Amino acid sequence: MFIKDFSAISPQLTFSEEFVNGDYKIHVNNTYTVFEPSYAETIPSALLRRMGKAVRMGIGAALPLIKRNEKLDGIVIGTANGGLENCINFLNQIIDYEEGTLTPTHFVQSTPNALAGQIALMSSNTGYNVTHVNGALAFENALLDAMMFLEVRDKKSSLLLGAVEEISNYNYNIDQLAGRYKVAKVSNDKLIQTKSNGSVCGEGATMFVVSNDSANALAEIIDLKQLNFPKESDVKNKLDQFLSDNGLTYAAIDLLVLGTNGDIQFDCWYDTVKSFFPLSTDAIYYKNLIGEYRTSSAFAVYLATQLLKGELQNHPGIEGQLTKIPKTILIYNQFEGVQHSLILLKDVEL
Amino acid sequence: MHKVFVTGMGAISSIGSTIDEQLTALRQGQCGIKKARFFESRYAETLLFGEVPFSDEELLELNGVTNQNEFTRTTILALHAFKEAIGQAGIADLLKSDRTAFISSSTVGGMCYTDELYSDANLKGTPSNYVKAYEGSDHTVRITKMFEIGGIIDTINTACSSSANAIYLGARLIQSGRADRVIVGGSDSIAKYTVNGFNALMILSDRACKPFDENRNGLSLGEGAAYLVLESESACLNKPRIAELTGFGNSNDAFHPSTTSDTAIGPVLAMEYALKMTGLKPELIDYINAHGTGTINNDITETVALNTVFSKVPPYNSTKSYTGHTLAAAGSLEAIFALLSLRYNELYPSLRCETPIREQGSKPISAFSKKELQHVMSNSFGFGGNCTSLIFSKCS
Repeated sequence: MFIKDFSAISPQLTFSEEFVNGDYKIHVNNTYTVFEPSYAETIPSALLRRMGKAVRMGIGAALPLIKRNEKLDGIVIGTANGGLENCINFLNQIIDYEEGTLTPTHFVQSTPNALAGQIALMSSNTGYNVTHVNGALAFENALLDAMMFLEVRDKKSSLLLGAVEEISNYNYNIDQLAGRYKVAKVSNDKLIQTKSNGSVCGEGATMFVVSNDSANALAEIIDLKQLNFPKESDVKNKLDQFLSDNGLTYAAIDLLVLGTNGDIQFDCWYDTVKSFFPLSTDAIYYKNLIGEYRTSSAFAVYLATQLLKGELQNHPGIEGQLTKIPKTILIYNQFEGVQHSLILLKDVEL
Repeated sequence: MHKVFVTGMGAISSIGSTIDEQLTALRQGQCGIKKARFFESRYAETLLFGEVPFSDEELLELNGVTNQNEFTRTTILALHAFKEAIGQAGIADLLKSDRTAFISSSTVGGMCYTDELYSDANLKGTPSNYVKAYEGSDHTVRITKMFEIGGIIDTINTACSSSANAIYLGARLIQSGRADRVIVGGSDSIAKYTVNGFNALMILSDRACKPFDENRNGLSLGEGAAYLVLESESACLNKPRIAELTGFGNSNDAFHPSTTSDTAIGPVLAMEYALKMTGLKPELIDYINAHGTGTINNDITETVALNTVFSKVPPYNSTKSYTGHTLAAAGSLEAIFALLSLRYNELYPSLRCETPIREQGSKPISAFSKKELQHVMSNSFGFGGNCTSLIFSKCS
């Protein structure tokens, strides 16, 4: 499956050229919020007012792709939580007004499939439409869905594939209660090295056009694999199998993109995976750019695509070791040791 | 491409806590939409619900679960139906295989505990036991952990078509050779969150819903969980097969966030895609389990869609007239009801349709009858324009 086009609204200036041109935004609070573009020219104001942040930035990232590309055959979105702000706003009304007469806007906007539905509506797309909400594998499930959709269709078929997650006070509160965030503030350029409990809260919308057609493609997604509740000893076997299924050795991977997030309780998983590869294998991190959120691996795919295009060499925001333009990239992400994923990308052979 | 067979079913709803109990209720025309006993809300006094007739504690006990702290009602319902499905298919020993996948769905997920979520999200009082249990995927993750399921895991939320899409995705895993068996379905419990949402949209009926009736005035909410076991041909060589999943279609109505279009483009396309996959002419569909919510909008749209796809509309009913709308569970629960019709060659009446919708000239099944069935269809349409249609066929 080939990536034909992409866009990202993130806590970096990825929606314009600034990020690619070397800009690196520093976040000093433990919520890394996105830089949103003006939507005035793309989203009608009456619609925009009603949209929650997840739907708004999802559409903001998706519409340029829809405009630039031929009619898409469907929309597949991954989001663990969808429009949480609207969700809890509606919940607060239920409790505060003791289940009185409420307006439905928050409710309708809060459902995780609201984004895929709204994109379909705005682009009159009556094609395939699915929303995956499987926690930290929601984007990976959407990716697999897209692969399975395209592999039984002709070469011209294409899909919008993406992921979105928003920060709200509420999800921050809930995850804070669950011990998922650091107590002390840490700026993002220090995040990866912070060895303390918890991480920081990020958000973003990342969109791709994927197709069977390699013409003018930016990258190829070769394969992916998920692991649930693995034992530490399982990981090596699964990785061996994944690489050999794809005819690759450890040394054939040019670059590892790791989801390390500064949480001392779980970063050991990344260290373990990295240790299986030769010392000379390049490895970089990405959560210093965007923070931690359930569908952050979509941003890792965005980053990998930029790297395969030859971008981001010597970028101040790229932490880790990057000695060359990679041709084969393996992304590894995990969430609290429960949900793990591997995504394999390659450059496009001309 | 590998064929996809149904080898197990499990379900719990307001009309029964096993498949057999629900079959009996369908045969006897027993409706589960009543005054709620356990749901705490001001609407429990004024509206009727298809409530599963057990408290959370009773459900936990029924399922031998002792670690109750983090199991929400959505999770317990899911666990209950999941166990029946894997039992019938005889796959309990195969769950740890990396060739066994699990695709579930939920709309409300752990948010069914609305009051706890309110306190936690607003940092009021001490944290509840559910701070790690609110996400839509929570029930999937807990069941995966409990049974150590080894293959691909997914959770879908396409509103009221969620578990129909879980079936679709599960079938694709088998067709493409990524799994030998997949447990597919969904779970939703009645929640203040959902009830108030549907109430705000003014689509809840003040009495038991009357799908496809001229005087219908909204839906009745229900709850439940339903799972099917799908297997590849080679995985189920030596066991009874309930049916083959021969067709499935997915589309978007692209019309409005919470209503369907007058032309029914989404529902029509979903049915047409499913039919195209089977290669069957429309007249070979013997029965349709309609989405049939009982709202003014859905039932007229669906009737238009049926008249567009079928020159002669096959017998159809809405089993939501028995269970209420079970949201994410509806797609798999109603697929199971359609499979019961197929298996026993029986048609169950749609309840409370006294005056059929006038302008489209068709009416749902009005009485129990026996009929030889070969191919049955089940429709699910949801908010966000999500439409899915499934076709099951008798095994040759």
